[in-house]
Amino acid sequence: MKDIIYDVAIIGSGASGGAVAYQLCKAGYKVVILEKGQLIQRDEFSKDELAYCRRDIVTPNLFDEFHTIEEKIDGKWIETPTYQSGWSFWNGNIVGGSSNFMSGMFHRMHPDDFRLKTIYGKIDGANVEDWVINYNDLEPYYRLAEDLVGISGYSKKHKYEAPRSRLKFFQPPTEENNIVNLFDKCCNKLNITPLVTARAVLSKNIGKRDACYYSNFCGSYGCSSGAKGSSREAFISPALATGNLTLLSNSHVTHLDSSEKIIKQANIINNITNQKLKIYAKFFVVASQAHESVRLLLNSANKFHPNGLSNSSGELGKNLIFSAGGAGGGTFYKDDMSKIDFNNLMDRGLFINRSILDWYIKDDWWKPKEKGGLVEFMFEHQNNISRAVNSRYKDNRLLWGEELAKKLKDKFTKTKTLRFEIFNDWLPTDDCFISIDKKRKDKYGMPVGKLRINAHPKDLEIAYNISKKVKIILKEMGAKDIYSSISAVPPQNLIAGGCRFGDNPKTSVIDKNCKSHDIKNLFIADASFMPTGGSTPYSWTIYANALRVGEEVVKVLQKKL
Amino acid sequence: MNRRFFISFSTYTFIGASNLLYSNNIIFNKFQFRKDIYNIIESVQKHFFPQDSQLPFASEFSSIEFLVSTIYHKRFDKDIRNFVISGAKDFISQENGQFINYNREDKEIALRKFENSSRGSKWLSRIMILSMEALLSDPIYGGNFRKSGWIALDTKGGNPKPKSRYINL
Ligand SMILES: Cc1cc2nc3c(=O)[nH]c(=O)nc-3n(C[C@H](O)[C@H](O)[C@H](O)COP(=O)(O)OP(=O)(O)OC[C@H]3O[C@@H](n4cnc5c(N)ncnc54)[C@H](O)[C@@H]3O)c2cc1C
Ligand code: SF4
Repeated sequence: MKDIIYDVAIIGSGASGGAVAYQLCKAGYKVVILEKGQLIQRDEFSKDELAYCRRDIVTPNLFDEFHTIEEKIDGKWIETPTYQSGWSFWNGNIVGGSSNFMSGMFHRMHPDDFRLKTIYGKIDGANVEDWVINYNDLEPYYRLAEDLVGISGYSKKHKYEAPRSRLKFFQPPTEENNIVNLFDKCCNKLNITPLVTARAVLSKNIGKRDACYYSNFCGSYGCSSGAKGSSREAFISPALATGNLTLLSNSHVTHLDSSEKIIKQANIINNITNQKLKIYAKFFVVASQAHESVRLLLNSANKFHPNGLSNSSGELGKNLIFSAGGAGGGTFYKDDMSKIDFNNLMDRGLFINRSILDWYIKDDWWKPKEKGGLVEFMFEHQNNISRAVNSRYKDNRLLWGEELAKKLKDKFTKTKTLRFEIFNDWLPTDDCFISIDKKRKDKYGMPVGKLRINAHPKDLEIAYNISKKVKIILKEMGAKDIYSSISAVPPQNLIAGGCRFGDNPKTSVIDKNCKSHDIKNLFIADASFMPTGGSTPYSWTIYANALRVGEEVVKVLQKKL
Repeated sequence: MNRRFFISFSTYTFIGASNLLYSNNIIFNKFQFRKDIYNIIESVQKHFFPQDSQLPFASEFSSIEFLVSTIYHKRFDKDIRNFVISGAKDFISQENGQFINYNREDKEIALRKFENSSRGSKWLSRIMILSMEALLSDPIYGGNFRKSGWIALDTKGGNPKPKSRYINL
């Protein structure tokens, strides 16, 4: 049988891969998606805490596939494979990728974030570079993503809100817990502006997707109504409907074979049957989430590209970044409530949808402008097992019997914890990068990715200063046990960098359209292109940029054919 | 971070008929779980979740049956499984195999003594985590009998409920 040559092969079906596939299939091109995970359909998802949150059912078993993490401990770099630590860097390996499991708090980057070096200047110890596109270049795609993903929200003018070409959101915000009235009141009293967080969640039915039913278990769970704007719902389903998409699930790409200028084929292994296959295409788009895309390119080294594909600059893997800062919270006690009826807090499932942008930029007239960050608010995750497990100690003593029963009863019925997360720039540095671990291999015999992780001291300083201000809001609201935790430990689900885009092939991996400088038929579509990440979670930007990249691939194909 | 450390300190982040499947003999035959290990873990769980508490009694929510079937499931971390078993052996040996015969006060003393060692406290914590999973996971896993764990804590699981254990697609 003659091998099929697809127009485009996309590696990874998550936020970025799905958006590229959508653009190509709509334009009439034949696309194959190679996805290592299985397909779980909308009506197969459930709120099974044990399966989704406490076992590696939707991610690989860490003894089979893992990463090596390098952290600086007492001045020395210490390597630990994740099968030893249990700290998994897999975020959702099924069709639709991690986007199935996101909470969907969506933010655009600010125009300044595209020109950090020019506007804010060089920072010692950080490799800050401007983007080679600006906010106006990406704005139409932010808007397109809003409509296609189904982003709900409410736009209120704020000096640090990114400009919108259409003020009104695609859909009004999702329903909110009554606590927002108290939150807004307290913020106003403190002269802080509360903003409604945009969410990749439908507040109204649209087409085949139903509105959110406020299931109370959103982040870390697949969505059974289609309300969550995962890549599977927003892009892969409509792409399949065009008849132009072939979706190969359980198909792990081990490496790409290339000549000097062209990738010829992707080598896949079916992770159920162990059957090996070669997939041929005119163009290849790598969209495997930043760290795994880098690993795939490094593992595809050959005689033409001894240091990995698209790595003539030596920049591949460098400047890994995360969307992070710190977190904290405060607790409301039923027996100590004066500002709000406790029963209101116990309404199941409604969102908080509040964020604060007031400290995104520090713009005091007496000193140079500095970047700050964004704060996002949410209730403590409602997972029953994890809430109980986290309450099992008192003064380092394990509780059991009546003491435990009382603590759990109180925790579940008489308290509610409001959490916050701070997002500020994770400055790119020489001490935060991805390479391959020459000593350790996964079950397919391929070297695993090694992530060296370190944060710039500035990141911690900014997060700390913001946390102090947030705690004042919680205090004003009447919360008790207010805490914050600022650390250099990154969230493994918000990851970017490693394949910087840029105009200069000597200092970047891909060009401004995310096409490889070295290889003519290779694009990289996930967040690895980002030289800096702004002070926001990344996914709206990932969707927007992938829609842009998809359009670029269409243009190149149109010229070629 | 060392795995041993993590395993021990991690803070992680309509059955009806199915209960009958877990008769002791079936468990012993299927997993070759030693009876003394089974008995001591069961006894510890009953001490953790006693009969006269505001929470269901350990055997009401099938905590030992849940634990055995869970740690032998193919998706369960084999290092943790081995630790559950080896820790039980340590505890048996600390108390010369007599723990299960003690009265409540003596059990309390023995458990707190075991908790004083780092390995002991990690093992007790692991047994507690597995017991809490039994108490609060979806009833399809064989624990949380008639949602008694959720009812005791005035909480609920989410919808839709799982139709099979571990997304058996
Ligand atoms: C619990 C959770 C909550 C989140 N909440 C938010 C939020 O509120 N806001 C926000 O902005 N972001 C959030 N995110 C992050 C968001 O999901 C990711 O930023 C986004 O999905 C990344 O897109 P991606 O395409 O790079 O990767 P993914 O969506 O992860 O997709 C990558 C895909 O590639 C596949 N793959 C990898 N390697 C191979 C290979 N070798 N062969 C074949 N396939 C491969 C993977 O299996 C995966 O399906 C959250 C994530 C999680 C897990
Ligand atoms: S129904 Fe709503 S809350 Fe539940 S998973 Fe879907 S989007 Fe999230």
